[in-house]
Amino acid sequence: MNAATDSYLAGKGGLTEWFTSTDHKKISLMFLGWTSFAFLLGAIFGLFLIVKSLGGRGLEPRFVFQALTYHRLLMVFLFLVPAVPSVLGFFLLPLQLGASNMALPGLSRCSLRFYVIGLVLIIASLVGGPIATGWNMASPLVVAETGLFALVAFGLFFVGLSWFMTGINFLVTVHHHRAPGMGFFDMPILAWALYLTGYLLVAVGSLFAIVILYLTASRISGEGLFGADPMLWKNYFWFVTTPAAFFALLPAAGVISEIIAGISRKTVAGYRMVVGSMIALLGLSFLGWGVNLAGQGQDPITTLVFQALSILTVVPVALIAYSWLATLFQGAVARDSVVVFVFAFMVNAGIAVIMGLFLTSPSVGAYLGTTMFAATRLDYLIWGGALSALLAGLHYWWPKMTGKEYLQDVARIGGVLYLVGINLALIPNLILGVRGVTGDMAAFEPGPSGLAELAGLGWLIVYSGIILVAGNLFASTWGKATDEVNPWGAATLEWKTSTPPPEGNFAEAPEAEGLYRY
Amino acid sequence: MIGSAILATWFPEAASTHAAGVDEPFYWIYIAAVLALFLFVGLGGTYLWIFRRQDRNQLGAVTGRLNPIFLGLWVLGALGLGIFAFVAGFPGFMDQNEAPYGAYGIDVTARQWGWDFTYPNGHVADTLHVAMGHPVHLTLNSEDVEHGLSIPAMRVNQAIVPDEQSEIWFEATEPGAYQLRGSIFDGDGFIDMNSALIVHEPADFVAWMDEVSDIFKGRTMPEVGELLYTRLGCMACHTTTGHKLVGPSFLDMYGFEFDTVEGKRITVDDAYIRESILDPNVSVIAGYQPVMTPFAGLVTDQEIEAITAWLKTLSSKGGTDEATAPEEN
Repeated sequence: MNAATDSYLAGKGGLTEWFTSTDHKKISLMFLGWTSFAFLLGAIFGLFLIVKSLGGRGLEPRFVFQALTYHRLLMVFLFLVPAVPSVLGFFLLPLQLGASNMALPGLSRCSLRFYVIGLVLIIASLVGGPIATGWNMASPLVVAETGLFALVAFGLFFVGLSWFMTGINFLVTVHHHRAPGMGFFDMPILAWALYLTGYLLVAVGSLFAIVILYLTASRISGEGLFGADPMLWKNYFWFVTTPAAFFALLPAAGVISEIIAGISRKTVAGYRMVVGSMIALLGLSFLGWGVNLAGQGQDPITTLVFQALSILTVVPVALIAYSWLATLFQGAVARDSVVVFVFAFMVNAGIAVIMGLFLTSPSVGAYLGTTMFAATRLDYLIWGGALSALLAGLHYWWPKMTGKEYLQDVARIGGVLYLVGINLALIPNLILGVRGVTGDMAAFEPGPSGLAELAGLGWLIVYSGIILVAGNLFASTWGKATDEVNPWGAATLEWKTSTPPPEGNFAEAPEAEGLYRY
Repeated sequence: MIGSAILATWFPEAASTHAAGVDEPFYWIYIAAVLALFLFVGLGGTYLWIFRRQDRNQLGAVTGRLNPIFLGLWVLGALGLGIFAFVAGFPGFMDQNEAPYGAYGIDVTARQWGWDFTYPNGHVADTLHVAMGHPVHLTLNSEDVEHGLSIPAMRVNQAIVPDEQSEIWFEATEPGAYQLRGSIFDGDGFIDMNSALIVHEPADFVAWMDEVSDIFKGRTMPEVGELLYTRLGCMACHTTTGHKLVGPSFLDMYGFEFDTVEGKRITVDDAYIRESILDPNVSVIAGYQPVMTPFAGLVTDQEIEAITAWLKTLSSKGGTDEATAPEEN
C-alpha cells in the first residue's frame, strides 16, 4: 500500500476541498492554522505592551489599553481555551478510539466556521472602533465604552458556540464511536481528558455565549441586567473563565500523560487514579471561580469558603504529577526533542500551580488578587501551560499528522530558548505584582527598574525560540517524509494506521487490544 | 538573612502593622512552594535523563502497583502545603477585616479618574494623609464605575464597587510618602488614579491638618460660603435654584422682603442671616415650618460673614457684581 497516495493530505480538490471538508484531520489542521493566527495577532498586541514597558514614546494610554484588551481576548478565548482541544483533540480523538471520523462531522466543520466568524468579527471591531474595556469586560466600562463593543461581543458569542459544539462532538464521539471491545477504561488517557474537556466546553461555551449577549443587551439599554449590578457580571464572567482558562491544563495534562507514556513505552502509571483525578478536577473547576474574585468586591467570608474549597484541587493535581513521575521511572525514554517540551510543561505548569497557593492564602490572596502576580499566572497558563502542551503534542504527533520529519536539533534549541525565555520574561512581572503593580499595568511603570528590561530580553528569547520551532515544523512540510509508521513504538491506536492516515483513518476497522500493550 | 533578602526582592517596603500578616505567610509559602517545585521538576528532569532509551527497541519496565507509601506521602505533602497556605494567611486576613474601635475615619470617594479623601472636619484632599501609629479606617465609595484602592506599603488592596460601601483599615508604622494606586482597571484615565499616601509623625499630622483646614486660605469669602453650604449640609433643605424644599431657596433672598409666620415684614440683611443661622426659629418666613437646627457654636463669626457674602452673589439685590463676585486667584 502506498501511504502517500492514500493519505488524507493527497486530495486534489484544492481549497474548496479543504473549505468543505468534514474530515476531522483537516479540521484539526485548519484549526492549527487559525489558532496560530489568533496567537500571532495576540502576540503582536503583546509587543505594544512590551514596547510601552521599555519606555516607548507616543503610545497613548487608550491605545495601550486597547492593545491590552485585544491581546488578552485573543490569547485567552481564541488560544488558551480552544487550542489544545481543537487542534490535538480533533485530530486524535477518532484515531485513538479507532473511529473513522468524529461522530458529528458536520458539527466539526461548524465549530471551525464559528471560530473563524468569531475571529473575523473581533478583527472587524479593530478596524471599526477598537474597545478598551480590559479582557474581563467589567459591565460599567462596557456600558460606557465608545468602541464597537457589539462586534466583539458577537465575535465572542460565536467563539463560545464553537467551544460548545466542539464539546458536544467530543462527548458523542466517545459515547458512540469507540472501537468494538473498547470500554471506557480501555480508552487512552488523552481520550479521557478530551472526553472530560467535552463536558467543560459544553457547560462554559453555552453559558459564555448567553451571558455575553446579556452583557451586550445591558450596553444597548444602558442599564440592563449587568449594567445595574457589576458584581453579577463578574460572577458570571469568572464562573465561565475559571474552568475554561485556568483548567485549560486539564486537556493539556492529558496530552502530557499520553506523551509521557508513549515516549517511555510504559503504561500510564495509576491509569484509573489519573482518570479519577481528572474527573475530580472537572468538578472542582466549577467551584473555584470565587478565588479570582478575592479583593474584587466579594464578601470576605465567601472568599474564604472558595479559598478553602480550592485547597482540594491540590490532591488531583498531585496525583496526576505523581503518575507522570511514576510513568517515567524505569521507562525507556525517547531521546527526541519532544522531551524538551514535556519538561517545559512540567516547569511552567508547575509554576502556575504553585502560584495558586499564594492566591488561596487569604491575606496574601487579598493583597495579590488584583496585581500583576495574578495576571502573570494567566500568562503562565497561556505561554507556559497551553503553549508547551500544544508544542509537545505537535512534536510528538507531527509525523502522524503530516507524514514528515522535522529537524530534531532545531526543535531542541527552539524548545530550550522558549523555556528559558518565558521564565525570564514572566518572573520579573511576578516581582512587580508583589511590589503592588496592578494587573496587566506593568507597561505603565516608570522605569528603568531593570525588571522591564529583563522581561524584554526574555520576550526576545521567547520569540526567537517560537520562530525556530514553528519555522522548523512549517519547513518540514517540504522536507523528508517519515518512513516509520510508529516512530515512538507507542501502543495507542493512532499509531496502528498508515502515516499520514487515509481519509477514513483505518483500512480495516481496528479492534481494541487492551490498553498500552507494548 | 536569606529570609529578609527574599522579602526585600519581592515586597515593597513594609510600613504598616498589616505587613507581618501578609509577608510572613508569603515567605513561608514561597519557601515551601519553591521546594515542592524543585522536587517535582528535579525528579521529572532526572528521570527524563537517566531513563533515556539505550537502544531503539528497548521497552519501559512493566508498571506495577504504585508504591502506597510514596504516593501517600506525596499526596499528604501536597495537601499539607495547600492547608498550610490557607491557615498561614488566615490571621492576617481576619485582622484586616475588623477595624479597631476608635480608628481615625476618612471617607474615600473614587471616580473617573481621581480620589477625594474627606477628613472628619470636612477637609477634602486628593492625596491621603495619616498619622503614624494611629489606626486609620477608610470608608470607600465609588461615584461611577468600579475602582480599586491599593497601598502596597500598607499591604491593603480593596475593590470599590458602585452602590456598595466597602471598608479597610491600616496603621502606618513608618513616616514617609508611599504609592497609592488604582488596583482595578477603570477606563482610559486609569493611570490618573496614581496618588500618594503621606504618613506624618502624630504632631506633624495635627499641624498639617490645622494648616490645610483653614478654609479661608486661598479662597474668597463667597467661595468659602459656598463651601460651607455643602459642608454644613445646608443644601439638604435650601436650593440655589429658586426651587422650594423644606426651607426657602437662597436664590434672590438677600435684600428681599418677606412676611414671617407671625405676620411681621422683614428684610433679609446681614443681621437676619446671622439670626437665622444661630437661632433660626425666631422669625420664620411664612409658608415654612420652624424646624431648622440651630447652628450656634458650630459656626464662627467669620464663617457667617462668608455665607452672607455668598448669599449676596445669589441675589439680584446683593449689591454690585464687582463687589461680591469671587476674585481671581
